[in-house]
Amino acid sequence: MKTDRAATVKERAKIALNDEFLRNAVKLTTERLRGGRLAAAEQQGNWEQWRERGMQIRMHTIAHLDYYLNEFAENARKQGVHVHFAETGAQAVEIALKIALSKQAQTVVKSKSMVSEEIHMNEALQKNGIESIETDLGEYIIQLAGEMPSHIIIPAIHKNRRQIAELLSEDAGETLAPDTAVLAGYVRRKLREKFLQADIGMTGCNFAIAETGSIVLFENEGNARMVSTVPKTQITLMGMERIIPTWEDLEVMATLLPRSATGQRLTVYMSGITGPRRSDDGDGPDEMHIIILDNGRSLQLGDPEFQDLLNCIRCGACLNACPVYRHIGGHSYGSTYSGPIGAVLKPALNKNVLEWDDVANASSLCGACYEACPVKIPLHDMLVYLRRRKNEAGAGESAEKWQMKGFKLVMANNRRLRAILKAGRWGQRPLVKDGAIAARIGPLKGWTAHRHFPALASPSFRERWPSIQRELQAEVERAGEVGRSVRERLQRYRNAPQERREGGDRV
Amino acid sequence: MNQQSFIANITKRLGRPMPEQPPEHPYRGAPPFWREQTLARGADRDQIIAQFIEYWQDAGGDAHHFASLSEVRSYIVQTAAELKAKRLIRHRHPLLDQMSLEELEAELPGADMTVWDGERPQEMKNRAADADIGLIVADYAVGATGTIVTMSSTGQGRSVSLLPTAVMAIVPTSRMRASLGEVMSDISAFGIERIPAGIHFISGPSRSADIENDLTIGVHGPGIVHALLYDG
Repeated sequence: MKTDRAATVKERAKIALNDEFLRNAVKLTTERLRGGRLAAAEQQGNWEQWRERGMQIRMHTIAHLDYYLNEFAENARKQGVHVHFAETGAQAVEIALKIALSKQAQTVVKSKSMVSEEIHMNEALQKNGIESIETDLGEYIIQLAGEMPSHIIIPAIHKNRRQIAELLSEDAGETLAPDTAVLAGYVRRKLREKFLQADIGMTGCNFAIAETGSIVLFENEGNARMVSTVPKTQITLMGMERIIPTWEDLEVMATLLPRSATGQRLTVYMSGITGPRRSDDGDGPDEMHIIILDNGRSLQLGDPEFQDLLNCIRCGACLNACPVYRHIGGHSYGSTYSGPIGAVLKPALNKNVLEWDDVANASSLCGACYEACPVKIPLHDMLVYLRRRKNEAGAGESAEKWQMKGFKLVMANNRRLRAILKAGRWGQRPLVKDGAIAARIGPLKGWTAHRHFPALASPSFRERWPSIQRELQAEVERAGEVGRSVRERLQRYRNAPQERREGGDRV
Repeated sequence: MNQQSFIANITKRLGRPMPEQPPEHPYRGAPPFWREQTLARGADRDQIIAQFIEYWQDAGGDAHHFASLSEVRSYIVQTAAELKAKRLIRHRHPLLDQMSLEELEAELPGADMTVWDGERPQEMKNRAADADIGLIVADYAVGATGTIVTMSSTGQGRSVSLLPTAVMAIVPTSRMRASLGEVMSDISAFGIERIPAGIHFISGPSRSADIENDLTIGVHGPGIVHALLYDG
């Protein structure tokens, strides 16, 4: 997918929409993962109570992040870990490079880390003559292709078997059949050598446990275990919000994360790494570094609209639930993080008005992301906040501004509205066929290019309302006794949402 | 940037002084209903074991329940013969020590068994990488997720459950727990003094679906995993 050069979400999406394979692949994958999540949640039972607990733990942790981060750093240090703090991506890269150079490292093997993608670690290592190898099968493939991940869980979602076979054949120097077992077998053999000869293993961090200074990695392939077991030096890149207070809290995260990501009860491997190897252990790293990264995260703290963004556990459920992501794929978002979480995270981390203008509009605000989110982050609300801030910053489109002004002018006066509707009905005549408009003209084009636009009704609902109201009144009177009970029931329904708002849906 | 100013920035953004006491954490761990369920389920050991076996097999592993250690031994030897295993490596663990697995020559001609020794790191890693079968004893197993847990120590290298082509884990049923939370409580109780460096929760064979959603087994870790339950 050659979307790198397109400047806007709209342009990138247009390219993606014309890629038949991509659309099918993304649809198939997101449906498989989404179906898996729903089935796993159903099987686990009481899913809402788990979500609620997940949200509570994450909110509690973020609200006390200074305390828990301190506790984590102190305890990790007691285990013999070198703990580093980086305010920016560039600082984190610099720290990692310094370690690599001091070890005279030639090869770094890496397991999946979104932070590493975020700060472009591979490029920095390679620029300094250090071979940097992604070892997750999907990440290895997109590294060979020189691309960004297009899905947080399945990074090479956009590549088909034939393309993958070509990439791997070139890497192998021999022709490999486009067969999954052959291709995966090649990567296993090739990377096995690399694991054994690498000087440094670099990992991400799914969770960091404050009470013991441990990091926790979730994965299915075993490459994160390799990276944290075989090389002599381990570097772990960690977003500063990855903290949870205790191991018992990990049970909740372990219940939510794999089920939300792929529908598994647990990933094949969940590893808790606490410091470098003990002196009499035979394997595990001799030296362990943890680099804790801010890079715009702290900007969300104390912001009532965006603090919950730091609750995210990076499961990708919102991508799989999103009707927009399903059509345009991950690369259209133009950043490391894609889908609804990416649409909020990218502008929020960068505090960049121009980018708010862009990705925050790539959403239908349907709220499917919120319903899928295992820690109940209101992403659809955040997208609205971003749009509002964009407007407040004066970055709104002037055409939109004039449209809104016109809308206000018309809607504020019923005579004006009636006159406009009348004129519209008259004006649309040449365009209407069978009650719908198909012509691709003017501002209608965006809609009518793909579907028909309903014609203005005659008479309109507003014009019919007086007679509808009379009919309803007559019906109620005819019904007499029955009518009273209907009224009472209606009254009860009307009160219901109020009760729910006051705490009925809390568990 | 140093820790102090990094944390101070967070405190400032949160708009209150840094807490001096540990914050009250009323939401620690699983929701209350789950703890009750776990307690209730804990009473029915057979059901937990059945659940473990079902989920382990579901993930693509083999699981068998044996009445005695000698049956476990026969199964290991038989499977090693079927896999034509030549090089085996095992944890140094009392259960495995007493199975006299070093005298395999008669049963598996040409087979060689290495016992993990933390004092010889490089040699051990190489041997594990070359091994056909790794033998471990699980420190815990969990019914609710179909998981075994192995913890690193001088006799228990992490490589043994990771580098060989196949892994066989002996699971004493006394180590079986209903839910993950029970294992987490124990780890929490180790505290920073006694916690092992590597704690690994394993729930089946290594897998990936990264190529066109097509499931592949044994991508980096072992593709063959046997759980050998034994009532001891």
